[in-house]
Amino acid sequence: MLANVNLEINLGGLVMKNPVTVASGTFGYGEDYDKYFDISRLGALTTKSLTLKPRAGNKPPRLVETPAGMLNAIGLQNVGLDEYLAKKLPFLREKGVPIIANIYGYSPEEYAELAARLENAGAADAIEANLSCPNVHDARIARGAAFVAQDADKVALYTRTIRSATRLPLFVKLTPNVMNICEPALAAEQAGANAISLINTLLGMAIDPETRQPRLANIVGGLSGPAIRPVALKMVWDAARVLKVPVIGMGGICEAADAIQFFLAGATAVAVGSMSFRQPDAAARVIDGIEAYMKRHNVENIAGLVKGMRI
Amino acid sequence: MPTVSECAILAHHQVAPGHLRLAVQCPKIARDARPGQFAMIQVSDSLYPFLRRPMSFERIFEDGVTFLYKVEGEGTRLLARLTPAQTVSVQGPLGNGWPLECGFKRHILVAGGIGVAPFPALAEKIKQVCGKMPEVVLGARSRDYLLCENDFRRMGCTVYVATDDGTAGKKASATQVLAELAPGPGTRLYACGPMAMMAATSLIAEQLGIDCQVSLEAQMACGTGACLGCVVEARRELEGEKMVRVCADGPVFNAATIDWDRHRVDYDR
Repeated sequence: MLANVNLEINLGGLVMKNPVTVASGTFGYGEDYDKYFDISRLGALTTKSLTLKPRAGNKPPRLVETPAGMLNAIGLQNVGLDEYLAKKLPFLREKGVPIIANIYGYSPEEYAELAARLENAGAADAIEANLSCPNVHDARIARGAAFVAQDADKVALYTRTIRSATRLPLFVKLTPNVMNICEPALAAEQAGANAISLINTLLGMAIDPETRQPRLANIVGGLSGPAIRPVALKMVWDAARVLKVPVIGMGGICEAADAIQFFLAGATAVAVGSMSFRQPDAAARVIDGIEAYMKRHNVENIAGLVKGMRI
Repeated sequence: MPTVSECAILAHHQVAPGHLRLAVQCPKIARDARPGQFAMIQVSDSLYPFLRRPMSFERIFEDGVTFLYKVEGEGTRLLARLTPAQTVSVQGPLGNGWPLECGFKRHILVAGGIGVAPFPALAEKIKQVCGKMPEVVLGARSRDYLLCENDFRRMGCTVYVATDDGTAGKKASATQVLAELAPGPGTRLYACGPMAMMAATSLIAEQLGIDCQVSLEAQMACGTGACLGCVVEARRELEGEKMVRVCADGPVFNAATIDWDRHRVDYDR
């Protein structure tokens, strides 16, 4: 049993005192959860996706519970960059928690502008480019969503464009709705990403058999929660075997034991997502649990767990 | 400040077919809770169901609260199995609660079915703070499904009953009975029930030019304002293209701020 362990990591240039952040869109801009635990305990805070202009998002209903998880189709409702800078940032800076600003644009140039403006305003410590939102397309018209992250060439183009606009650590968040996760992951790495976030939600849907209507106004949504954990873990394992840059693992992490699995599969950091909805201090519990696990298993450095699966 | 508390169950019993009252001990939550606010209740230790269930405070006491709920799905079915020997995780108080202004001449509470849940605490508060007895319109499917009627009467409220089948009170809708009460200037309406019923109530208020507050229900994930899953559409001419969060901006709204158009269907027909 160790008395002291080191949880600090360097995530593609972002130094974090512990390897735990939150998944974009599950934590707002932090103020809602600071009532339940001191959010400066997080290794970093990942914001809700920011767009240049505010977005109203999709029509309701936007969420439905499914076995051991939930489907959401929020549609990137957010306050927009200007209000983030004016109203949300001061609180986060006062808390002193490192900020991973998640961004969404409608073109590579929009992503680049967002990244540059965030850097210039000192409003982010790292950028996470959301190339994989499932809910910005109207499923009634589009007949199935299309993501930038489903096309390795587009991933390369977007990543390169954002890379040229900022010196901040750049993370690229990918979709699991692909044949081979290694292709977009490698494309992002080669185009200059400093870390890869895996995974965004899995596409899904639910229908009310009584009314025969879709449960979501958008028909299709993104599945999250413990239901997707095995899928996320496998994708992290796949990607970490071919990447040189670190992986941020996420998808159904509910407790420390889940996070440990992601480290063993190859993740350098983890994000707690939907579990914060059920247990508002879930991320803090995961941090405490990882520390306790390391002491119990004589792991001095968190890096000692990464890719530590015994085969 | 909201907290998450593991609460002892003091009582848990059926009050109508498929409807239960849950009483829990939670001094911290009870101390801060206001009528119209709600809590997120974890129905099971297992991860299925995954999310907590939002429920309004029915009554607020010194060291505990009660909830009134209808068994509707997997979550409430599991919750209904809990017994007074057990505990339940309760997160709250959440949301804004009913506005309380004593300047109104009449306070009329309009409840449809399980929508009565946030009203006993409100009636008590109006009585206590304003020294005035609210009038209550109780709408239900039938006599067996009438909730809280005696509780309101014991408080001293005048209760008007409307049932779909006429087995108790008038064979009418709650809003038809409301219209007969001739609410006039100086009246504030408080409504909670099916969306179509609240839409009809808000229309009455609009036509009479009187104040109307509604408590909305929605599927929720976080209950704290972060996930943006529980939104409803605000009225375009007032707010632009805007969504309001039932959990954090509500659950109580001035009816005039909500876009009722797609809910104003087939009610009272």
